[in-house]
Order: sequence, then C-alpha cells, then structure tokens
Amino acid sequence: MKTLCVVLSLVLPTIAIADNLTIDKVYHPYVQAMEKEVEWRMVAADGDHLQRLGIGRALNDRIFVEGYLIAAEEGDTFRMQGYELETRLQLTEQGEYAIDWGLLLELEKSHKEDEYELATALLMEKQWGRWVGAANMWLEYEWGDAVKDEFETATALQARYRYSPKFEPAVEFYAGENTRALGPVAMGDIRFAAGKKLHWETGVLLGLSEKTPDATLRVLAEYEF
Amino acid sequence: MKVILVCFGLILSYLPVAHAGPPVIEIEIRDHLFYPDTVPIPADTKVKLLVKNLDPTAEEFESYELNREKVIAGNSEAIIFIGPLPAGEYPFFGEFFPKTAQGKVVVE
Repeated sequence: MKTLCVVLSLVLPTIAIADNLTIDKVYHPYVQAMEKEVEWRMVAADGDHLQRLGIGRALNDRIFVEGYLIAAEEGDTFRMQGYELETRLQLTEQGEYAIDWGLLLELEKSHKEDEYELATALLMEKQWGRWVGAANMWLEYEWGDAVKDEFETATALQARYRYSPKFEPAVEFYAGENTRALGPVAMGDIRFAAGKKLHWETGVLLGLSEKTPDATLRVLAEYEF
Repeated sequence: MKVILVCFGLILSYLPVAHAGPPVIEIEIRDHLFYPDTVPIPADTKVKLLVKNLDPTAEEFESYELNREKVIAGNSEAIIFIGPLPAGEYPFFGEFFPKTAQGKVVVE
C-alpha cells in the first residue's frame, strides 16, 4: 500500500491527460470467460454530455472485446461522434501476485472527421481486506486532419469499499491535461437469474482545477449475460 | 527523468516473478455439487484452488466474501488464488446452479 501510494504520488504530478479520456470509468483487470455484455455509460458536465453504447464478449478467460457507438450532446445538438473498438487483456490471475495486472487497448475513429485515437492503459488492482484500490495509467496517441498529432497521458484511480454486492461506495480521482477531479461514486450488482446481472455505477466528480467543470456526473449500466 | 526511472523501478518491483507456489487444494464439481463442499485452509496463507469441473456444463465459482468469480467451462479446470485470510468462514457457490452448488472455505 505504502509503495503504491509512493508510486502514484510521484507519477501524478508528471501526468497530463487526453481530455476525452479523463472522466469516464475505472477499468478492472479481469476477464470472465463466456461473458457477454451490453453497456451504456454517460458523462455529463456544464449542460453537455457524452454517451457510449457498447456490446462486448469474452473470447476466452483472458481476452474481452467490445465495440462502442459514441454520441454527444452539445447545446441542443445530439449527434454521433465516433466509434470505438476496445480489447481488455487479463495478464495475471486475481490474487496471484501482490497486484493484479491487465492491459486495455482502444482504437477510436471520429464519425465524420478524419480523426483517430489509439490508446492503451495499464490496469492495476489490489485488495486490502474490504478495500480495493484500482489504477488505470493511460497513454494515448491522436492523429488526423483536424487534430494535432500528439501523445497524451491520463490517470484514473478508484478506492472502493466492499460493503455488499448490491452497494459499494467508492472515491475516484481523474487527472488530465485540463482536468483534475475527485468525487464520490457508488456501484453495485442486481442479479436476475443464473449468470445474468445488471452492474451499475454512478458518481459526481468535483473539479479541482479551473479548467475542470465544477461537477461532472457519470452513470454506467452494464447488463452481463 | 529521474522521477520516471524511480516510478518505473517501483512498478517493476511489483511485476510477477518466479517463486515457490502456494499450496494447492483440489475441488471438483460433479452433478452441480462441490467436492469437498468444506475447504479448510490455514490462516494468513495464500492458497491455490484447482477447481475441476467434471460436468459437461459450465459453472461459475463465485464468492463475494472471497472477492472471487471464475467461469469454468464444462469438462475443464481453472485456478483460483485466495488468501492470505483471517480466520473465519467464507461461503462460495456456483452461479449457474446456486441451489445445489454450495460450499465454504474455512480458515483456521
């Protein structure tokens, strides 16, 4: 725990983040074989919001792939913004080592513009009794006609308390080039039948810097079957 | 640059390295039941569960108390690491056949 805190405290001040990655969700480094899911998530701030609708499935007990449609509302306009293909790799068994490791790969294309983003994230998770800490360390490269070709980095952290399967409170922190946000999050599972459940997450991230919105709402619903 | 090297070194120190493995305990799933259904393990010790699913259908080993869930395809096996844990009882069940597939880890 102490070492992880030292790592994070050293890394965070050096990090800048791609803004569209900054406040979203915290990924976990696990894959369940045979799992399929439909996922919807939304991030809203200052009257605008970004939504993702995805469908994914595990290829085996190590690889999960998911495709997303991304839409955004800015002002009164709601429009398709892009498409994303995501692959999550579980690198180690849960509890096998001091930290559980995973890797995320994402490729996103803008709907109408010739813009692309390729991103990868190192996923880490560690449990201390009822507390679980998760960290996502992002590296992104974006290129295209309307964007500056550049590398950017990002970090998302989560400390979660395992109170019950239906309700787990957490605190999340997101850092980025123009973003610093911290806030309370809650999540849980609602079981329907064997192998079928709804996972939900919601939270409000409070801006810690001038360029970050005062409050960002994030909501996620994931039906696993 | 120095900070990056320090961080890189600290992260590397957490990466997997080869070492003597934890004790292995076998659990079988037969006719949607766990054998044994009570699994004693020593306190404060990491244990490797080798779960063999002898049924033709898939099963999911699940335990909120152990913070583990693992799908095991029919006629296959999976490894689940648990612990180190304090003394106590930690129930687990089969997600796909929860009425019959029930068990518990007893940490002594």
